Amino acid sequence: MSFLAATGLAIGSAWALYGVGTALVLAGALGVVLLRNPVHCALSLVTTIFGIALLFVDQHAYFLAAVQIIVYAGAIVILFLFVIMLLGVDRKEARAPENVRLLVPMALVVGAVAVAELLALARLQYWAAGAKSTTQSLSGPGSDIQKLGQTIFTSYLLPFEMTAALLVIAIVAAVALVRRRSQPPPAPPRKSAGALRHPARAPEAPGAAVRPAATAGAGRSAAAATRSPAAAASTPKTSNETREGRAVS
Amino acid sequence: MDQFLPILLMVVLASAFAIGSFIASKMLGPRSHLHAAKVGPYESGIAPRRELAARFPVRFYLVAMIFVIFDIEVVFLYPFAVMFRQLSTFGLVEMASFAAVVFIAFAYLVSEGALDWGPGKRLGSRAGAPVTRSLNATVRRVARPGTPPSARPPVLVEGASTGSGAGARGLDPVRAGASGPHGEEG
Amino acid sequence: MLAAVAAASYNGDPVFAKGITLGVWIIELVKLVAVFAIIMVGVLFMVMYERKAVAYLGNRWGPNRAGPKGWLQSLADGLKLFFKEALVPEGADRWVYRAAPVIAMVPVMVSFSVIPIGDTVTVAGYTTRLQLADPPWGILVMLMASSISVYGVMLAGWASGSKYPLIGAVRASAQMISYEAALGLTVATVVVLTGSLHTSAIVAAQHGGVLYHWNVFRAYGLPAAIFFVAITAEMTRPPFDLVEAEEELAGGYNMEYSSIGFALFYLAEYAALVTNSAFFVTLFLGGPDGPYWHTIGPLWFVIKVLAVLYVYVWIRATLPRLRYDQLMDLGWKKLIPASLAMLLIVAAGHISWRWGLAALSGSLFAFILLSRAIEVGRTQVEEGAQAELESP
Repeated sequence: MSFLAATGLAIGSAWALYGVGTALVLAGALGVVLLRNPVHCALSLVTTIFGIALLFVDQHAYFLAAVQIIVYAGAIVILFLFVIMLLGVDRKEARAPENVRLLVPMALVVGAVAVAELLALARLQYWAAGAKSTTQSLSGPGSDIQKLGQTIFTSYLLPFEMTAALLVIAIVAAVALVRRRSQPPPAPPRKSAGALRHPARAPEAPGAAVRPAATAGAGRSAAAATRSPAAAASTPKTSNETREGRAVS
Repeated sequence: MDQFLPILLMVVLASAFAIGSFIASKMLGPRSHLHAAKVGPYESGIAPRRELAARFPVRFYLVAMIFVIFDIEVVFLYPFAVMFRQLSTFGLVEMASFAAVVFIAFAYLVSEGALDWGPGKRLGSRAGAPVTRSLNATVRRVARPGTPPSARPPVLVEGASTGSGAGARGLDPVRAGASGPHGEEG
Repeated sequence: MLAAVAAASYNGDPVFAKGITLGVWIIELVKLVAVFAIIMVGVLFMVMYERKAVAYLGNRWGPNRAGPKGWLQSLADGLKLFFKEALVPEGADRWVYRAAPVIAMVPVMVSFSVIPIGDTVTVAGYTTRLQLADPPWGILVMLMASSISVYGVMLAGWASGSKYPLIGAVRASAQMISYEAALGLTVATVVVLTGSLHTSAIVAAQHGGVLYHWNVFRAYGLPAAIFFVAITAEMTRPPFDLVEAEEELAGGYNMEYSSIGFALFYLAEYAALVTNSAFFVTLFLGGPDGPYWHTIGPLWFVIKVLAVLYVYVWIRATLPRLRYDQLMDLGWKKLIPASLAMLLIVAAGHISWRWGLAALSGSLFAFILLSRAIEVGRTQVEEGAQAELESP
């Protein structure tokens, strides 16, 4: 075990950290792209986030590593998972490939542009490598979080306060997505009333119907709509769905 | 970075313990004799008849979205908390204004009823409210003690069309049929 | 303040000062095994402690066959689960199904490693803290662990391929994230009082004197109460255990688990109970500090953790389960605003009492505003529901 005591360990462990972090990032990114099941994709995304956290640790940015895990893994991917699981897009029948003929060339073009961009940035060495900082480096006594606090709350006061405004906008947007209509809509013909109104409706949350297009983005909403009874089903099936919806409460 | 070494060791040990127990259980446990009733989903002994509804109430997404926002606010508080002694009054005023802005957004959120789950209190006790149970309400509203019989909600007859909820309910093949053992839930 | 000076140049466990030598490795491995053993024994003990205490509170005997007075019952139960058939249900997503218990367990164990059980000790020239790790993250490890443990619950419910586990998992994860914000805010209050994220600095700042240094008093009490409620909800312990409401969900997110998978969930649940009680003691009750005899730190620590654990058992035996809307109301509309207000009040009170008073009055104003907002929101929802009932 004495080889571990070598003085080169610190440098070695920094490289090991970098290697493991990069491997996690790449493996996770590949998983997001290649895996079939959306939940597996989201879990790969978590792997990527952990890799990035390790890279932050490698840079001695410990607080950012923690934030990476708390905010990205702990909140944002959880939101993704909620959407994936609760809209039912993880079921097999909802995962039929749509429009592959159009998507593949588009993906190839976008990917080629991204790679070209990356190579171009790498040519302009100081830009992509992050060697040039906008302010002086934050070396010196004190932990990273102290320096971060010092910087945010003095030099970058205005951006910090504007973040509050950004959060306000986000809250208002979130409310707007699920806002109830102030007026009940004109009553549709009685026979189709069930099919139009009920499937997505929460029994204990009156009026707060999911609007798939707003919540899940265009691609998923298309997938959800194909199996949504609102689009296709006959009336009896609709009321079955509603009965199940009640179990959710 | 040395300070992270014990944490890394703990992650390794805990994962090794968990995976090791899976292996141990595989070796120690009996061989599986699988049959349909065993591997099927457990629903208290009743064979599952249909899948779960495709979607869940929108409130769950809303909670997750708003949580993201509050999490970001909390994350900003930590550098503040650590540097509070140095920043002193200046930092306090700064953070108070930040909190005030976010609080106003929060008050808006609450006043929109976005965080209200379930039926409101007064809805439950409002006298003379129509029908017992509809597709939109989970509570069965019954008269409070002391309510005169005239003000009591009518008793719902299974399959009859008395109001909005029952109209849709009549379309349900299971419910409209004989009120069997599974006809009534909750 | 002693803590403020210490926090500025605080660098974690002094054992690493001279680099990582063989001796350091041995010390770390010994501490690792010790902490692991503490968690395991703590879980086995807690399971029995709870069953016994609930039984006595209900005027029963509780388990009294295996071992002296039945105290080996939990060990027997745990060993038995190894010999049970490990079943993967038909609709399950195999790998996620197996990974979920591991994901649930690992973060809990890791978060225990930052809890200071005592002060420093010196063995063979190496001075080390009586805590496994003292990283710069400090108390953030707890928040990270609680973020990650949501995944264990959520994936278990989803991967089971069954209705009730999924419903239980959705409820559980929504509940856990709802209380996480309040948790983060109260922990930040403690950090304001200490000026450092290191758990060792947090307990060092509460050391000495007769109790009045404890954060529960320095933070005016309320944050401690909020923290306690928040971790109770975070662990889905009673009275916040809607997740496993037997009458509705037949057992909750881990219903489809048998054998060792179930055992690991159970282990994670009780390890979380022990760990979070220890965090409560660390953050608010002075950690290894007592009113007198400051040298017997670990003993004080154990006594306090046992007392907190008893409170959990007591609550379980006493309080009925909350309804889901009550749960969400409590988390969002009461605990989060209250903990934010307390953070500002504590910070302002630390500067001077005038600022404290100003923050208090501002918070009261905000409270009035918020109660009006709650009223408006409820009316809106009721009117919406009423309109829907009346529309054809």
